[in-house]
Amino acid sequence: MSRIRVWDLPIRLFHWLLVFSFIATWLTEDNDRYLDFHVFFGYLFIGLLLFRLIWGIVGSHYARFAQFHYGFKAIRDYSKSLFSSHPQHFVGHNPAGSLAIFAIISLGLIVAVSGLLTLGGEEQHGVFAGLFSFAEGEIFHEIHEISAWLLLGVVGVHIAGVVVSSFLHRENLVRSMVTGYKMTETEQPSVNLHITVAILLLTILLISSGFYFQGYFTQTPDKPYLPFVGPQLASNETWQSECSDCHLAYHPSLLPSRSWQRIFKEQSEHFGDDLALDEETLTELGNFAINYAAETEVTEIAWKINHTVPLHDIPLRITETTYWKKQHHEIEDIIWQQQNVNSKANCSACHLDAKQGTFEDGAMRIPELID
Amino acid sequence: MRSTTLLTGMVLISLWRPVFASEAVDTLLDEYRSEGVTEFSLEDGKVMWTQEFTDAETGKVRQCSTCHTADLTQEGKHEKTGKVIKPLAPSVNPERLTQIAEINKWFKRNCKWTIGRECTPQEKGNFLNFINAQ
Repeated sequence: MSRIRVWDLPIRLFHWLLVFSFIATWLTEDNDRYLDFHVFFGYLFIGLLLFRLIWGIVGSHYARFAQFHYGFKAIRDYSKSLFSSHPQHFVGHNPAGSLAIFAIISLGLIVAVSGLLTLGGEEQHGVFAGLFSFAEGEIFHEIHEISAWLLLGVVGVHIAGVVVSSFLHRENLVRSMVTGYKMTETEQPSVNLHITVAILLLTILLISSGFYFQGYFTQTPDKPYLPFVGPQLASNETWQSECSDCHLAYHPSLLPSRSWQRIFKEQSEHFGDDLALDEETLTELGNFAINYAAETEVTEIAWKINHTVPLHDIPLRITETTYWKKQHHEIEDIIWQQQNVNSKANCSACHLDAKQGTFEDGAMRIPELID
Repeated sequence: MRSTTLLTGMVLISLWRPVFASEAVDTLLDEYRSEGVTEFSLEDGKVMWTQEFTDAETGKVRQCSTCHTADLTQEGKHEKTGKVIKPLAPSVNPERLTQIAEINKWFKRNCKWTIGRECTPQEKGNFLNFINAQ
């Protein structure tokens, strides 16, 4: 028996960083507040996969795809032998493991690319920003979710395979992926550590994460960091000053134009107030609202509000829209009742870009509870 | 060309003059006088500022000071939205009582909210005298 190095350092780093980024993306997928983290781990994930493709060609002996034992016959023979008294043993990737790697890399690429496409379509951010519509973004989102679940399934099979194989061959495969070493009875090559490549990988990771998250280190309490900044929306001075006398000047893109028409027609009964606006002001406000109403679909939220409000419905409050309700049903009463929130009309209590009207997913901060 | 610039400049200079609270207030007081008011009372304005009115719909007590507070040099707070209202007193907020259209708008909006009806020229004149003195 001799102890040989099977996994070089870059392969082990790749493996555990991929595990880490996969877990991290799952943990950050639900809460839009952490979208920037989700996207970062997604970039890390795709970066690692691309590295693995390269390392599969130029890497050390066992890392090369050419060394993989795959193909129908190899898998059949290997599976059969598992049930015999002498299961086949491979120092590098066994046929099942090879298959798992191909499945993880290809599915992983689908997950990552569909994620980038979702970011481009739904959020209009990232490398694909501006290339796809919100509706297309939703389709990519579906693909992203389905492929992520499939990948989770493949990972489950892979882990099960590792456990079974570890028992069958009486070797701790997990430990090998940490130390890089395996025991072998036959003459097999031991690989180089490739420490330079590993350091290079870590350096790239460190620099890019510092660059990506730098906003968090330079932010101040008055000027919190916004990971995603939405488009500059049309503005109007009269709108700004008249509306914000009493409340946030909700951007017109938050309600369909028929709502705004009704609001200004009923200005003498504006939620308990007679606005008493003169004709000139009213015309200016009305024109601005209609020109930049939700129908313009300038942002994700405008698009979602516009296509979820039934056509016969003329909501007067943004909080009456289907989309608003869907997005806020999980917010507990205790949050709404807080002094610094006070009212459902106070969007900017949580949405840092409420004034701009963009309502980016990543610009959301639920305020801390004050006793 | 030069004469046009000069002329424009002169027109602009003649148009530019600081607007004082008293100017808009004087115009409005004259208007109220023309509507039959003979005398304005700062004291009556002050009393009405904190007078309690019950809203017919909600049953809640409403006063001018509900939102503007009793001290006009202080910031107020919108009763419903919580939005901060800048002080009304011209002594700390010189922009107040300078725009006639603004004054008319707010009188209509806020009298209707607080009292449940528009204010009379007499009441508006009293308020202007009271607020202007703050």
